[in-house]
Amino acid sequence: MAEAFYITAKGLAENGFEKLPRELDSTKHLIYSSPATLDFNSPGAKGFGVKRAGLVIPGSVMLLIAPGCCGRNTALLSELGYDERFFYLLLDDTDIVTGRYVRKIPEACAGLLAELDYTPSVIMLCVTCVDALLGTDMERVCRACFEQTGVKAAPAYMYALTREKRLPPMGLVRKSVYSLLEPQKRYSNECNILGFFSALDDGCEIYPMLENAGIKKVREIGRCKDFGEYAAMSRANFSIVLNSEARAAAQDMQERLGIPFIELTRMYRADKIENQYRLLGQAIGAELDCSAYRAAAEEKIKAFRKKHGALTFAVGESLNADSFELSLALTEYGFRVAEIYGTVGERNFFYVRKLAEVSPETRIYSNLSPTMMNYSPAPEIDAAIGADACYYHTGKAGVWFNGEEQPFGFRGLDMLFEGLDKALDEREEKK
Amino acid sequence: MKDLLKHLSPFAPDDSGACSVLYEMGGITVICDAGGCAGNVCGFDEPRWFEKRSALFSAGLRDMDAILGRDELLVRKLALITEQSDAPFAAIVGTPVPAVIATDLKALERMTEKKTGLPCIALKTDGTRLYDHGEEMAYHRLFERFAEEKLPVRKGRLGVIGATPLNTGKTGSAAIRAALSDKWEEIVCFGLDSGLEEVRKASECEKLLVIAPSGIKAARLLEERFGTPFEAGYPICGVPEGVSGKVLVIHQQFYGNALREKLESQGCQVTVAGFFMMLDEYKRSGDVHLDRESDLTELIGSGGFDAVFADERFGRLLKGFEGKFFPCPHFAVGGKLY
Repeated sequence: MAEAFYITAKGLAENGFEKLPRELDSTKHLIYSSPATLDFNSPGAKGFGVKRAGLVIPGSVMLLIAPGCCGRNTALLSELGYDERFFYLLLDDTDIVTGRYVRKIPEACAGLLAELDYTPSVIMLCVTCVDALLGTDMERVCRACFEQTGVKAAPAYMYALTREKRLPPMGLVRKSVYSLLEPQKRYSNECNILGFFSALDDGCEIYPMLENAGIKKVREIGRCKDFGEYAAMSRANFSIVLNSEARAAAQDMQERLGIPFIELTRMYRADKIENQYRLLGQAIGAELDCSAYRAAAEEKIKAFRKKHGALTFAVGESLNADSFELSLALTEYGFRVAEIYGTVGERNFFYVRKLAEVSPETRIYSNLSPTMMNYSPAPEIDAAIGADACYYHTGKAGVWFNGEEQPFGFRGLDMLFEGLDKALDEREEKK
Repeated sequence: MKDLLKHLSPFAPDDSGACSVLYEMGGITVICDAGGCAGNVCGFDEPRWFEKRSALFSAGLRDMDAILGRDELLVRKLALITEQSDAPFAAIVGTPVPAVIATDLKALERMTEKKTGLPCIALKTDGTRLYDHGEEMAYHRLFERFAEEKLPVRKGRLGVIGATPLNTGKTGSAAIRAALSDKWEEIVCFGLDSGLEEVRKASECEKLLVIAPSGIKAARLLEERFGTPFEAGYPICGVPEGVSGKVLVIHQQFYGNALREKLESQGCQVTVAGFFMMLDEYKRSGDVHLDRESDLTELIGSGGFDAVFADERFGRLLKGFEGKFFPCPHFAVGGKLY
C-alpha cells in the first residue's frame, strides 16, 4: 500500500477547492475506517450519533427499525445507561425488499409500550439506509403510531447514504428533537442555545454576558431534566445557533414557533470570538463586553507558551473544533501545526487559504484515505489535539478535546490550554 | 411480535461474520455500504481492528450511487487500491444497501476481476442474518476458490476452522494452539494469525478441527476435495467446579457441546440452546434453537434449570430465574473479549 497521502497547505490553497486531490475527496476513493475516527465514519457509531441524539428528549424511548447490522453497536450505549430506552424491530431480507414491515411499526410501538411501566414522552422511530432507498414516508408512519398508541412518535433518520446532502443525518435529527415543541407565549428575557446535544461548559462566559444583557433564562436541550423543561424551550424570545447542523432545526422553530435565531460559529481566534460577541450584542440590542474574558484567555495562552515553549502540534478532526480554524488559531498564537487530519470542505477552505499564508508547510491528511493505513507518526510532534491525532501519536502528550461539556468562546480557549498544560505536565512527570 | 427485541440488542450480523473470516487473509475487503456497516464492523465486531492492520474498507456509497447503480464507480475505486498494494485477492461484502437495490454481486465480482486482474469473491450477505451465516459463506468461498492444489499430507498438522473472535472471544490463536499442542505438532487456525497461504495449503492438513458450526460446510468441501477428515470440537472451555443439577448452556453450538461434556462429567444434566446455527447432526434430543426473546424466557420458565451458562447480555431475559447464573461471554452477543 502506498504511503499516507498528504498535501501541504500551500499546495492545497494553490490548487483551489475545485482541484482537490483525489485522496482528499471521499467520493473518489474507498473509505478507510481508521481506528482513529470511527465515530466520524458512522452516523450511529459513537458519541452523539443519531441514535443517542434521538434520545436527548427527556423521557423518550427509541425504536430502531432496521436490519440487525444497523443496531449492532448500540450495545456500546448500554454502558451509558441507555439499555432501557432502546427497542428494535428487526427486518429480514423480504422486509427490506418489499417494505412490508412499515405496517408492523405501530404494532411494535404498542408492544414496547406494554413493556414499560411509564408512558414515554415520545417514541423516536430510527430508520436507516433501507428507508432512505425505499422512500418511506415517516411522517405518515409517525401519525399511524400516534393513532394506535396515543403516544407521539418522531422520526430519527440514520441515513448514512445522505451524509453529504444539504440536510445530513445529524441535521435531520436536530430538527426532529425540537419538533415536539409547541407554540406558547414567548418571553423577551429567555433564549435557547441550539447546536449541541450536551450543554456548554458551565464556565462559559456567554451565560453571565447574556445575563448582564437582561436574559434571565438560557435553555439548552442538554440541561433539560424533564419534558416540562424541554417544552419550555418554545417560550424563548430568540435562539442562538452554535453549530450549522442545527440551522434547519432553528429555521423550523422560526416558522412554527416564531422564534428567530442568530447563528454563531465556534472559533478559537480571540479577535474573531470578540467580533462574534459584538455582532450578537448588536442583534439582541445590547452591548456584550467580553474584553475581560479575552484578556484573561490571552494571558493564559501567553503563560502556557512561556512555560512549554513554541510547541509543534498535530491537530485532528475528532474534536470540538474545526481542525483548520483551530490550526490557524494555534499558528497565530505562536505555535506550529505540522499536521492536520481533517476533511476539507467548501466551508472550511477559507481557513486552508489563511493557513497557507502563515504556515504553508503544514501537511494535510484525510483520515478517510485508504493510504492512512500506512501513516507513520512524524517525530517532530510535541503534542496532539483530537482523539484521532492522539491515536496517531500514542506516547506523545495529547488532549482528545472531544468531551461532552462543550467548549465555546474564550472558555473554549481556556479548556484547550488547561487540558494541554495538564497533559504536558503529566508527560513530563512520566519521563 | 417475533422481530421485536425488547431486552436484547442485535447480535453480530452476517457481514461482520464474513469480514471476520477475511480479516487476516491479506486481501482487500470492501464492505458495500455507505459507511455505517463498516463502522459497526470496525468499531464493534472486529476487536482486531485495534491490534492488527487489515485492508478493510467501506465502499462509501451515496444515495445517487445506489439509485443509479454505479457499480463501475465502485470497481474503479477498488482498482485504485489494488494498484497501490500487492494484495492477492479482493472481496466484496454485501449489506442492506445492495440487497435493497438488488446489486448483482456476481457481476460485480466479474467486473472486479476483469478490471484488476485479481481473483475476487463477492459474498451475498445483507445484514439481516447472523454472523455465522456470513462466516460459513466466507469460509466456503475461500477454500473453494483458493484451496485447489492437492499437496502431500504433513503428519501431525491440524487445521482449525471457525477460529474467529466472534466465536472464541480471542484475537489471537495462542490459547487454541496451546490447548491442542500435546496431540499435534503443527496447528494452523485459518484466518487467525494466518493468511491466504495457509488456505492454499489446506490439503497438507492431516485433520481438521471445526470449532464452530460456521466451519462445517468448508470442512465438508475439503473432505470431498482432498479426503481430509474433520471433527467438531471446542478445545478451550473450562467449567467451574461444584455445578450440579439441570444446566442450560446458551452459546454457539460447538462451545455449548464442549461445555456439556465437561459438565456431564460432574454429573450435570445439560441442555444446549442458541440463537445461532444449531446443526441437527451435532444436536442432542432436547437441544433448542432459539428464534425470539420469548423462546428463551419460555425455556427458562419451563425447563426447571438449576444453572445457566450464557453471555451476560442474556441476563436481562433471566429476571426471575432463581438458579445460578454463570457468565459465559460470547463476543457475537455481548461484544466483549475474554
